[in-house]
Amino acid sequence: MGLLHATWLRHCKECDGPGLFLWADTWKVAVPETSDSQSLIHPFTLSSPELTSWLKKKEICPEKSTKTTRFLTLPSKQLTKTTKKNSDSEKYVGKSRREFLPLQAGENISQSFQLSEWEVEGMILTPFEATKWLSQLPLRNKHSYIGEEVLWWAHFQRWTLKLIANGSWLPQAEQNAEEESTTRARWIPLLNQENERNRLEEFIKTMPLVINCAVPLLKKSKEFEFSQTTRTEPELRDDPMESWCRSNKRVEVVHILEEIIDVQLRNDFQPNSTELDPLLSNWEKALGSKSRIIDISNEDAQRLIQASKNWKRGLSANLRSGKVCFKLIAPINDNEEWALEFFLQAEADPKERIPAAEVWKSGSNILNLNHIQIEQPVEILLEGLGRALTIFPTIERGLEKPKPTSMKLSAQEAFVFIKTASIKLRDIGIGVILPKSLSHGLANRLGITIKAELRENSKGIQLGESLDWSWSLMIGGKSLTIKELEKLAEKNNPLLNHKGTWIELRPNDLKNAKKFYTNPPQLNLFEAFSLSKIEGNTLLKLPVHQFKAGPRLQHVLKQYHHQTEPEPIKAPNGFHGKLRHYQERGLGWLYFLHRFNQGACLADDMGLGKTIELLAFIQHLKVQNELTKPILLVTPTSVLTNWQREASIFTPELSILEHYGPTRATKNTILEKSLKKIDIVITSYGLAQKDVKLLKNIKWQGVVIDEAQTIKNPKTKQSLAIREISENLTSNQLRIALTGTPIENRISEIWALMNFLNPTVLGKEDFFNQRYKLPIENYGDISSLKDLKSRVSPFILRRLKTDQSIISDLPQKIEKEEWINLTQEQEFLYKKTVEKSLNEISSTPINQKHGKTLGLLVRLKQICNHPALALKEKHIDEHFLERSKKLQRLQEILDEILESNEKAILFTQFAEWGHLLQTYFEKQWDTKIPFLYGGTSKNNRQEMIDRFQQDPRGPNIFLLSLKAGGLGLNLTRAKHVVHIDRWWNPAIENQATDRAYRIGQTQSVIVHKFITTGSIEERIHQMISNKTMLSENIIESGEQWLQTLSVEALRKLVTLDTNVEEF
Amino acid sequence: MKMSEFKITNYIEQRNNDDQEWWVTQWMELINSYRFKKRLERAWNYAREGKVTSIQFEGRRVHGRVQGTEKKPYKVKLWLDVLDDENWEYVVEALANKAKWSAQLLAGVMPKDIENAFATTGKRLFPFNLQEIKSECTCPDQANPCKHVSAIFYLMGEQFRENPFILFQLRGRDKNRLLSDILQKRMSLEQENITIKETRNTNKTSLNNDGSNIQTTVRDINLWWSYTKNLDDDLVVITPAGKESVGPLIAGQLPLAKDPRFSNSHTNFIEHLISHAQTQGQKAMLQAMSVKHF
Repeated sequence: MGLLHATWLRHCKECDGPGLFLWADTWKVAVPETSDSQSLIHPFTLSSPELTSWLKKKEICPEKSTKTTRFLTLPSKQLTKTTKKNSDSEKYVGKSRREFLPLQAGENISQSFQLSEWEVEGMILTPFEATKWLSQLPLRNKHSYIGEEVLWWAHFQRWTLKLIANGSWLPQAEQNAEEESTTRARWIPLLNQENERNRLEEFIKTMPLVINCAVPLLKKSKEFEFSQTTRTEPELRDDPMESWCRSNKRVEVVHILEEIIDVQLRNDFQPNSTELDPLLSNWEKALGSKSRIIDISNEDAQRLIQASKNWKRGLSANLRSGKVCFKLIAPINDNEEWALEFFLQAEADPKERIPAAEVWKSGSNILNLNHIQIEQPVEILLEGLGRALTIFPTIERGLEKPKPTSMKLSAQEAFVFIKTASIKLRDIGIGVILPKSLSHGLANRLGITIKAELRENSKGIQLGESLDWSWSLMIGGKSLTIKELEKLAEKNNPLLNHKGTWIELRPNDLKNAKKFYTNPPQLNLFEAFSLSKIEGNTLLKLPVHQFKAGPRLQHVLKQYHHQTEPEPIKAPNGFHGKLRHYQERGLGWLYFLHRFNQGACLADDMGLGKTIELLAFIQHLKVQNELTKPILLVTPTSVLTNWQREASIFTPELSILEHYGPTRATKNTILEKSLKKIDIVITSYGLAQKDVKLLKNIKWQGVVIDEAQTIKNPKTKQSLAIREISENLTSNQLRIALTGTPIENRISEIWALMNFLNPTVLGKEDFFNQRYKLPIENYGDISSLKDLKSRVSPFILRRLKTDQSIISDLPQKIEKEEWINLTQEQEFLYKKTVEKSLNEISSTPINQKHGKTLGLLVRLKQICNHPALALKEKHIDEHFLERSKKLQRLQEILDEILESNEKAILFTQFAEWGHLLQTYFEKQWDTKIPFLYGGTSKNNRQEMIDRFQQDPRGPNIFLLSLKAGGLGLNLTRAKHVVHIDRWWNPAIENQATDRAYRIGQTQSVIVHKFITTGSIEERIHQMISNKTMLSENIIESGEQWLQTLSVEALRKLVTLDTNVEEF
Repeated sequence: MKMSEFKITNYIEQRNNDDQEWWVTQWMELINSYRFKKRLERAWNYAREGKVTSIQFEGRRVHGRVQGTEKKPYKVKLWLDVLDDENWEYVVEALANKAKWSAQLLAGVMPKDIENAFATTGKRLFPFNLQEIKSECTCPDQANPCKHVSAIFYLMGEQFRENPFILFQLRGRDKNRLLSDILQKRMSLEQENITIKETRNTNKTSLNNDGSNIQTTVRDINLWWSYTKNLDDDLVVITPAGKESVGPLIAGQLPLAKDPRFSNSHTNFIEHLISHAQTQGQKAMLQAMSVKHF
């Protein structure tokens, strides 16, 4: 559960130059220092061997690296005196001098922090190895073990690959910074495009400081670095940031960029000295050599340095802190002169600029623009103007004076400046500010603006219905008539001012507009949906700049695009229960999409009651007389029971048929016959696949799939079968998917879902993969992601427990019962155990009866958990999951919790069960899962709790035994409490629940309680729920009262209710 | 010697056809105005064969060594009439009065109308004819310029290419002196009386010495670890650009004196770089596709 970091070293012995230092922090209990220890070892990092094997396991271990240690300056927290007294944190303290700890990424702190140097173990990569290693890292952070700054590195390296792919580099000769008498050959990046220069500034701005935390805290601490005797105390400063800011981030990033561009180009360069003069030959040799040093005379070196500088000059300015900037000022009318003003501008912040007049005034002094220092401002200004001349020779006229500050431009000149020169100027590192009316360049896209409204009497129910609509031409945000367009076109002026906006007409504009006029197209509601949301639409070659909907159409569109919620629908007649407000809104939304024959995915967070919403919706259809045929409901086997139960409680009027088990109908005629008067047919995914031919030929009202993530992989047979059934539905049948996972973020999984719901939205799978999946998943392409989201979002409703609109509706503690049944093996064991034990008990003397009874109950509860527990198996076999329905459901719930990155605490009364689950889940998710039980040592106990509560990357799942973990602990990071098995005494359960649901908890807690239908667990559940049966006496005596039960009463209590067990 | 003659014209033509800096062209034209073509040819051969063993600018003079028929190389000295300080005053004033000139000089470009800056002095920057270039050679040849001197002439054209300021140096002012003189002169000139629309409070721009502003921003712990940006759209797919946009090509000719012994040296150098750009571009593209998808 470590977190990988990468820090740049300006110079290291290991590489004889710069290097990349990899290290990782992790959660450990800080061991007290021995009394004579004076080292300042970072207590929370992986050792070099640990790091290597960890990276190997994650398959991102670099090929070549050197193990080493470094001193890193890191933010640290001081432990307060009061904490010191607390016995729990004594281990942090050790002795008085170690009173602080380094902070970890993601750790929450409110107070100020201090900087101190820590010795960290790790590995060093040479810059070239670093580029190889960085190139293969993922480009979006979906891995919790990769630090965010490593992602910065990966993005940065990808940028250098782009620069190299573009050939944006140039060899240079420069004086060796380290040894002034020598000259080095270097490959340097050529930032000769404006966007690349902006990108550099962006990388500078976003660079996390941990990247250059190898810089010593203070200059003088350098002296201490290698003499440990003087390092008795770490350097702690009250004002730590000052020196950090002085070390210029900009210099650092430019340095890194130059280094890693250089190593990549140098590595493969084969110097070729044939047909080269001695000077160039030596330069080439040095460009391909490791030492970089050019073997030439001093005089030639000066020539070469100057020449390479001049060579680059025409393409790109040096990466200095300031640059020349031109500001264009538009005249009021399009036939007047334009003005061009000269400025000096800060590279890091384009808003910071001063007029040329003040630069001339300053002479050669250093200028300060809000913290940004610009040296030699006059020279920068003049040199920039000189380079600008080669691109835009018109400026020459403005440079006749000694201290020019501005000049006039004709409309023709201004046009050239705007259209071409401004881009080239920016590319060579000269700022250009255009008037606001031109901030997006010249408006040259003639398009249309549309006004539309529903037809009179229409409520906007049919997708294909035509709209009343009108349109007008528009350019640069201003509308114009065809007459105005003709007039403008006649002027034949390159720059036209139309109502205060500068525009340029394209050759075909007039023609396209006239065509549109003579033959305007039709517009229907479906087109309005996409025109109103997705940008870049065109109608008959004319881009749609604006879409204005009339109030009634707007109402429909807003609901469609989730901008306003559809009208909520109250709980229908015949619904036994209450709907919360958000559930009423969900009901309204389902009904809204149903009106448009659109499939809907209800993806509310776990615990918000999707089952109830769906049942209420079907009941609503029934009440509205819209339910004429049965609805097919497909669910995982593990929740069949739950659906059945909830339906019988909330919507008893709905008649339900289970298509499940060996006695199910297998012939079309029989099935159809049995469907009369049936509202819902429930089946499992497994059977939907098995009986696909049967099911797809039934005329359904619609198909609902629960736990819809089951069909996420479009190639699986289950997914194919479900989509085959849904394809066979006639077009106006409802399709609903329920899921609790954040489906809209899982690109690869969304296609199958949308294909089930609305096949036209995302098209064919191949197209989808090329257009969305590849760019988004592999490269994190944001514009594709946005486009995808705007396409699918009308069909997905996902609300979180934390949403403001939800939170007020939710109780702070949500009790959720999970009803499951038994597998065949469990059922067999259960029945056999009951028979055998009851016989035994009836022939047992009274004084031993209690023990036997208790033994029976324990064993039955164990069987409900898992046969392996009851049979005292010590190992996990390969059918472990199949053997228990409870485990299957538990795993589904935990999967969902992990997906949402939430935390859960799990209680069981059986330590052996805890061990089995721990082993099984650790293997299942390849992660450590703590288990706290009676045998856990005090130290380990505290470590588990601290980790769960404090470690930013701590475990999401925490297993506890009810007895050992039920009291005293504070586990408020958990949002879920799961009671895997039931206890007689609800007070004990509630106490356990309160580990999470207590002071300090800020969100709702969901309490999951597992109950096996028809079993002893259901009886216990009934007794707990039915308070009259629980006298104080019972609560206090635990299971003593069982003694008093007659064999008959006991039989009643434990016998499996087979009526419920039929499906 | 017909072949070499061909080469000279070829060489010069090639230089003229390229986007050759005008001051280099002008220098070459000056040399080619020499009437004795035969001698010029021989001089060119000298230069091309590497007979010029050294060429150095020492103050206002050019010192060269040319290996002739004798064992010891001949010593060649070249110089122009220098301008006196008073004349330089005038030139500096003229240069300072027109921002364009210093702008171009700083950008490494010799202004085309530079002679105008010298007009008030009645002097010139460029020699008008060959006779203005004074020379001495230790060779027994009576003709002036002899072929040794002419060989140096050729190479000087290359030197100008590399550094246009050499001409100023030969006229008595080196680059640093000239630029600082111009700068000082400009400062003394009157500021144009115009209204500045955008003025700023200079107090505001001074560095905040206590650094309080900076401190508060960096105290934000998130700056240490946090990076939440998504990959830029245009870094998603990486494809090599065409040959015509690579740096070594668009940077144009290398502004470095050519060694006439290796007439294809620059071309070879740049072509080698361009082919390096292409192979590296391909490699970068492949590497960009090798991102692991976990």
